[in-house]
Amino acid sequence: MNRDYYYERRGEKMLARAYVPIQIMNQVYSPSEALKKGTLFPELYRPYKAEKMDIGGGGFYG
Amino acid sequence: MDKDFISKEQKKLLKEIMEANFVLVETNLYLDSHPTDEGALRLHNTYSQRYKELLSLYEAKYGLLRYTGMSGCPWSYINEPWPWEINFDVI
Repeated sequence: MNRDYYYERRGEKMLARAYVPIQIMNQVYSPSEALKKGTLFPELYRPYKAEKMDIGGGGFYG
Repeated sequence: MDKDFISKEQKKLLKEIMEANFVLVETNLYLDSHPTDEGALRLHNTYSQRYKELLSLYEAKYGLLRYTGMSGCPWSYINEPWPWEINFDVI
C-alpha cells in the first residue's frame, strides 16, 4: 500500500462498505428512449431534480 | 439548420446507428457482471446484428463512419458533414 495515503488503523471500524444489490434485467427502454435517458434500464434511470429541496437539503434525487 | 446539408434519411439512419450502439454499450456493461443472463445475451446479439447491418448500409450510401472500413476512391471517411455539424435535435 502506498505509505503516503495509508495510515495504520488499529482496530477501528472500516472506513466504508459498499452495498450494491444485484440487478436483474427485466424491462428495457426502447433504443431511442435509452439514448435519450442515458440508460437502457428503467431501474437505473435517476435524473437530477434540483428544484425539489427536501428537509434534509440537497434534494438532488428524484 | 445544419452547416452542411444532410438528408433526413441520412440523419435518421445515423441516429438509429447511435441508438443501436448505445444499447450495445449498456448490454456490454450488464453482461460483464451477469455473463449467464440469457435474456441480456439475446438482446445483445440482436442489436449487434442490427448495428452491423445499419453500419454497412450507411457506409455504402454515405461513406465511412469509421476509418476501419473499406473505401472507394476518393477516401470517403472525410465526407461532410462531421458529427458536430449535425443538429440532432431536428430529425
